[in-house]
Amino acid sequence: MNRRKVIKRLALGVASLSAAGIPYGLSRLLAPDRLTTSKIHYLRPPGALSDATAFNEACIGCGLCGEVCPPKCILFSDREGGSRLNTPFIDPAKKGCILCGKCMEVCPTDALTEVDRKDIKMGIAQIDRTACYPWVDRGVCGACVVACPLGEHAIGFDFANMYRPVIKKGCVGCGVCVEVCPHPSLPIRIAERGSSTVVVHQI
Amino acid sequence: MSSPDSKPFFLWRHLNKLRWLSLSIVFLMLILIPFLHLYQTYIAAHAYDLLYPSEKVIYDSMETLTAPFISDPENDLDLLKGTTWSGRLFGLDLSDPLALAGQIAASGKLLWPFVLTALIPIGLTLLLGRFFCGWICPASFLYELNTTLGAWLRNIGLHTGQRRMSRKFKYLVLFVGLLLSPLLGSVAVAAIYPPAIVGREIYYAIALGGFGVGAVFFAATLLFDLLVARRGFCRYLCPGGALYSLLGKFRLLRIQRVVEDCNDCAKCNAVCEFGLDPLRDGFGMECNNCTACIAVCPTDALVFKVTPKDQPDRGPGHLGRQYRRAHNENAEDEHEP
Repeated sequence: MNRRKVIKRLALGVASLSAAGIPYGLSRLLAPDRLTTSKIHYLRPPGALSDATAFNEACIGCGLCGEVCPPKCILFSDREGGSRLNTPFIDPAKKGCILCGKCMEVCPTDALTEVDRKDIKMGIAQIDRTACYPWVDRGVCGACVVACPLGEHAIGFDFANMYRPVIKKGCVGCGVCVEVCPHPSLPIRIAERGSSTVVVHQI
Repeated sequence: MSSPDSKPFFLWRHLNKLRWLSLSIVFLMLILIPFLHLYQTYIAAHAYDLLYPSEKVIYDSMETLTAPFISDPENDLDLLKGTTWSGRLFGLDLSDPLALAGQIAASGKLLWPFVLTALIPIGLTLLLGRFFCGWICPASFLYELNTTLGAWLRNIGLHTGQRRMSRKFKYLVLFVGLLLSPLLGSVAVAAIYPPAIVGREIYYAIALGGFGVGAVFFAATLLFDLLVARRGFCRYLCPGGALYSLLGKFRLLRIQRVVEDCNDCAKCNAVCEFGLDPLRDGFGMECNNCTACIAVCPTDALVFKVTPKDQPDRGPGHLGRQYRRAHNENAEDEHEP
């Protein structure tokens, strides 16, 4: 009798917990994009499907992209939960992508589709000209220009001043410049393509 | 008395040990692969002198381990990657059928390269049934150790859960998981499927510096197995187990009882982790060909047979007391041991 009561209560608890999930599911059904688009820009590995929802649905969370990444720049959102759970992202402040293309090649589900190196669209870098050392005349630097894996197509020096970096059209947003920038406030950020807002990377 | 197919090859009684070997190899590979990846990243960085002492230990040991086999570790080691969820085994891309099902359910698209990677596991499952659960699954390895722990706890007088539920519940989990996938906008089953969790959590812990949320879920399933039902997650909740059971419904390779050799000792029923009924021919879809019952059978009455259907219940074993009592009038088997 007592055991039956305990089981009944357990079942009731499970039922009420799952009932609490129904509004969430309904809201996802009615507005699937509302919850995934937040102000935080998730820098995905190269070749990622541009639509965030499509990417989360295609990714099975196998972690292969991270396991082949030579600089180990691909991390996984493992504690935040939600539909992004176990999907890969890149935190350029820690490590930038070197555009080697191994992750695109190994991805089993085409969540990362193989594209040519210069056609990768992860984002585009922005330089905060009120912080970058050469732009505020606090010395010479050029670390970002030296480190850029795409070279002069993506980043170069300002014509008037040899050491002021400027982003060019070819930038794919790999984030190596963010990684190497010596300024503590990280004046370089990777913005989503097509949006001109200043972005915040996660964590 | 002895049927012709009772001892087909010499390892017959040791298949269960072979299975443990296979489970341990898979588990050790899942631990080794992240270390190999770390080794690759150290090579790619071209900065051996800047590594920490602990990282140098990893570098040196992995170099010693792989040097006899490969010449270019930075690229050659890419042939061995991933987990049982989706991985690359010596250049062969393999994926879990549940990964395929979950991905199709979530994205609504059929990706042929991905389907191809799941074909070999699907084919093997059609032939061998739930063999993945018994022979490969890294979570199974931990769950079986957990069962052993439960036996020890019972020996010292603590109670462990022995509840029975409906086996059909896991099909509900599978279908709800697949139906929720497009709703949640992610492959929902990947988050609750233990082998996928174990594989990726080992990678997170070794290469990325910490367990993720999956480790908590997996610990909860271990507790569930210990406190509620023995191997309860695999039997009642695992969505992958449900899919494998469905695929293996008409499997060709089955463990069957030779009723002439059976003495009704019921050791097989006691040892079966999935709570099946080998003693009365009750194998069904859930049997994962783990061979634990073969190893424990004292009279070699359980054998592998190639048949698409289980035989019906053939009654008490002919060497057992029950059968002899029923047939005592004939008084033919008096000289049997």
